[in-house]
Amino acid sequence: MRSAAELKYGEKGMIDFIDESHPSARRILEVGFTPGQEIQLISKSIFSDPMAYSIRGTLIAIRKSEAECIKIL
Amino acid sequence: MNIGVQKQIPFITLIGPPNSGKTTLFNYISGKNFKTVNYPGATVEYSIAKILKKFNFEANLLDSPGIISLFPESLDEKVSIDAIYNHPKFGSPDVVIITVDASQLSRHLLLVHQMIEAKFNVIIALTMIDMLNKKGLDISIPDLELYIGCKIIKVDGRIGKGVDELLEAVKKDIANPKSNRKTNPILSGHNNQSATLIELFKRIEDIERKVLIPYSLSNNDIDLTAANDKLKSLSNLLNIKSAKQLDPMTLKIDKVILHKYWGLAVFFIIMSTIFTSIFWLASPIMSIIDDAFGFLASHAFSILGNTWYGDFVSNGIITGVGSVLIFVPQILILFLILGILEDTGYLARGAMLIDKPLSKIGLNGRSFVPMLSGFACAIPAMLAARTIPNKKERLLTIFIIPLMSCSARLPVYALLIAFLFPAGKAWLAGIFLTFIYLFSTTTAVVVAALLNKFRSKLFSDKDRSSFILELPSYRKPKFSVVLNNAYHSSKLYFKKAGPIILGFSMILWFLTYFPNTTPKINGSGLSQDKIIQIQKSERLASSYASDLGKFIEPVMRPLGLDWRVGVSLISAFTAREVFVSSLALIFKVTERGQPLQNSIIEAMRKATIEGSGQKLFTTSTIIGLIVFFIFALQCLSTIAVSKKETGGWKIPLIQLFVFTTSAYIFAFLAVNGLKLIGIP
Repeated sequence: MRSAAELKYGEKGMIDFIDESHPSARRILEVGFTPGQEIQLISKSIFSDPMAYSIRGTLIAIRKSEAECIKIL
Repeated sequence: MNIGVQKQIPFITLIGPPNSGKTTLFNYISGKNFKTVNYPGATVEYSIAKILKKFNFEANLLDSPGIISLFPESLDEKVSIDAIYNHPKFGSPDVVIITVDASQLSRHLLLVHQMIEAKFNVIIALTMIDMLNKKGLDISIPDLELYIGCKIIKVDGRIGKGVDELLEAVKKDIANPKSNRKTNPILSGHNNQSATLIELFKRIEDIERKVLIPYSLSNNDIDLTAANDKLKSLSNLLNIKSAKQLDPMTLKIDKVILHKYWGLAVFFIIMSTIFTSIFWLASPIMSIIDDAFGFLASHAFSILGNTWYGDFVSNGIITGVGSVLIFVPQILILFLILGILEDTGYLARGAMLIDKPLSKIGLNGRSFVPMLSGFACAIPAMLAARTIPNKKERLLTIFIIPLMSCSARLPVYALLIAFLFPAGKAWLAGIFLTFIYLFSTTTAVVVAALLNKFRSKLFSDKDRSSFILELPSYRKPKFSVVLNNAYHSSKLYFKKAGPIILGFSMILWFLTYFPNTTPKINGSGLSQDKIIQIQKSERLASSYASDLGKFIEPVMRPLGLDWRVGVSLISAFTAREVFVSSLALIFKVTERGQPLQNSIIEAMRKATIEGSGQKLFTTSTIIGLIVFFIFALQCLSTIAVSKKETGGWKIPLIQLFVFTTSAYIFAFLAVNGLKLIGIP
């Protein structure tokens, strides 16, 4: 299973589920990363961390470790 | 029916997710006449204001920090959320206004749902309609009201559109005897689960699908709604798709700004442009102010004559006011640039770009804005650190902020550098100043890294570190808004710092003038000017300030300095910029027609260490002083704010001790090291 952190530049993915063992899981859900949503990797900062995703018509930056708990189809 | 209870004015709370236009709306309704207060026992702050008279509605309006949901993630969030339920001073709100970004409906309605579920009286202020319209979409307000179950008003807080209507709705809601006043909101924990959260999002998406309608410029509401009713179901899928599209302009700009490597280069270019422009833009205006006050001071002295009040007016008051006003251009420009960066949406991106490096030293990408503001003034910078959810990272940020080279140090550096480099070589001075800034920033980073190693001893906190930040779409900044904000921030700053600087220069004047006001000297054969000059130095040498200075002279000696600089350094503890006006006072430099800075430098070049004839200010002692100012925490207000923000005396006292001791040690090393290698 791939995570959002493994998306390539400009690649889109559909969220399957959020790994709830991650301490930030609930906040990730609350900002809109919910199952069924399409996300697209827009940019990576230097060291590939944090990463910015297009989600629900906005751009949200999250750390790589946080992107890893977003599992995509 | 009147029970005789004093009529209480309504209490309205304003909440909203970050970037939903909440603060803009609050500023518009309150006219920026708000008080900021801390919650008892917490470092969380709220702003409270009366609604502006022009809206003809007497009510208290509370602005709370931006929140995403009603379930707190950190201690600070818990405090602000608890206060929405039951404010320690005002109780439960009569009405809660929630700002919702129309183009972010599917995310922002989460908070609305939670609030309604918790039984608050909610009215929605729907913002950023223009962004949605740009995507060719609009929102059917009656439909949305129906599905959500509360009143919804379209507003634009930047120009005040819809605000009257919004307040009218609030008024009506409060006046309505049927509506349930002061419901007791219930803390609902049941939908805290991920599953319910996902369920809620599904419901919201469903609503979003139903309320989005095409937007046309030739808007004829009734016709359109009727005609679109049938089309709606068909075009909905299309609508949602375009609603979820990122602003194409933003995507284009971010290709460069957020590029993996270019992004960082652009970041450094923007940062260095900011700092150089602060100097280049401000310096001509500053020298005009400088000249003007030098001129005023010398004229006041010649008009009032060589009397105590003449001296008081020219040296005590005019020089004092001048040393306050000289910062106006720089502070204004800095706040202006910060405002533009914030309004365009760059600040969040800057935070993202340096989150990784900062997290290596125990900070967070969100430390970026506070650190940047630290270049203006440590006080707003420490307040800005509140946006860092992790307590350890916030405390560490606050800890290093005094090392960021604040604008109060600028006049000190300007004076000392002007002494080092001849007037013809301004570019050298510029490079040196840039070097000072780089050096102090590096120092801050090193200190943070060191502290991070010992953090468990300093800050006991187990909050996890996280960085989740929305990068708002680029918007053209509204210059009237940015200007207005810069004006208000600067005003606030001067209201705070001005009286201290002015007051202290008066105290200092007193200390340097008394008790021996009219020293007897042998003036035969000397010109009037010469006599005044000798009188001045005689008066100073037997003044209170001199007594005080001689007491600390042993401490100053190792730095190659004497009591006069010592007194200036001590007075600089009230605020660093006082150092300049204090040197001016102590060396009594008001000379005819000379700008302030030139005459201070002139006097400094002539000054010798008493009794030895040795030059007081040399390359090494000046560099020593610069080093001292880089490190020393010389600002009472910073200490006070640090105490307030960290919730105790521990951190401010450690800051004061560590920074001031290292200032002394490094200054000592610099002065004596330079002397050792033959630089006087």
